[in-house]
Amino acid sequence: MKRVEVKLNLEAVAPLLDAIKEAADELRPELAVASAPPPDGEPEFADGWKRELLDNQNSDIGVFLALFDSEFFTTGVLPLDASNSEAILRACAAVRLRLHAKHLATLGDEALESGEVAVDDLPESQRRAFAAYAFLATLQELIVQHLDPTVME
Amino acid sequence: MILAEETRTRHSPSQATATETRLADVWRVVVLNDPVNLMSYVVMVFKKVFGFDELRARRHMIEVHEKGRSIVWTGVREQAEAYVFTLHQWHLNAVIETDEAR
Repeated sequence: MKRVEVKLNLEAVAPLLDAIKEAADELRPELAVASAPPPDGEPEFADGWKRELLDNQNSDIGVFLALFDSEFFTTGVLPLDASNSEAILRACAAVRLRLHAKHLATLGDEALESGEVAVDDLPESQRRAFAAYAFLATLQELIVQHLDPTVME
Repeated sequence: MILAEETRTRHSPSQATATETRLADVWRVVVLNDPVNLMSYVVMVFKKVFGFDELRARRHMIEVHEKGRSIVWTGVREQAEAYVFTLHQWHLNAVIETDEAR
């Protein structure tokens, strides 16, 4: 099984984990993307649709947060492989969507897309959210580049 | 319903049934743009969920990015619902539409 170990700078990443965990906690009862069930469905179907999506989202986020265990805080290494890469990709997407909705939407899509954000001018909470948002994007890029599930199947 | 009554008077039962079945069967899976998900991630999801090759996945991703939406699949309702559910699991903004919705 192909495995990638990402060595992170603990001093740089540790402060971002607070923003990530806060967003993850906020996602526990709600979906990152407003998911409308198909039209004309039964109410039970709509409830089941959202509940299952939420269960999946929480499961993915659990896999992701489990990476930051005591071993990580000793070694700074994130072990990624086929068994966790898809869940981590989805969890990163969910947390990034939450960070964007709560902290970053005012920065404008073009600035966020290009990365041309005057970080030093941002208030502390927004600066931390932006750094976490960028970190999660980098992690997603690494996984897609090295552990693309469509290539590994 | 009035519509059903009119249909019956205009077409034979077999014609009406065939028409209704055809309309009911044509559903589209439409992916909508969002400003957050990475282009490489969206391409990967299209490949994974629909089995697209790289070129086709990129074409749909660019269409979503530039036009705000892309029809990524067309077919029966149950399968369209399954695809939308899977796309929501990957946190892409997707809806199903019928021909009548356009």
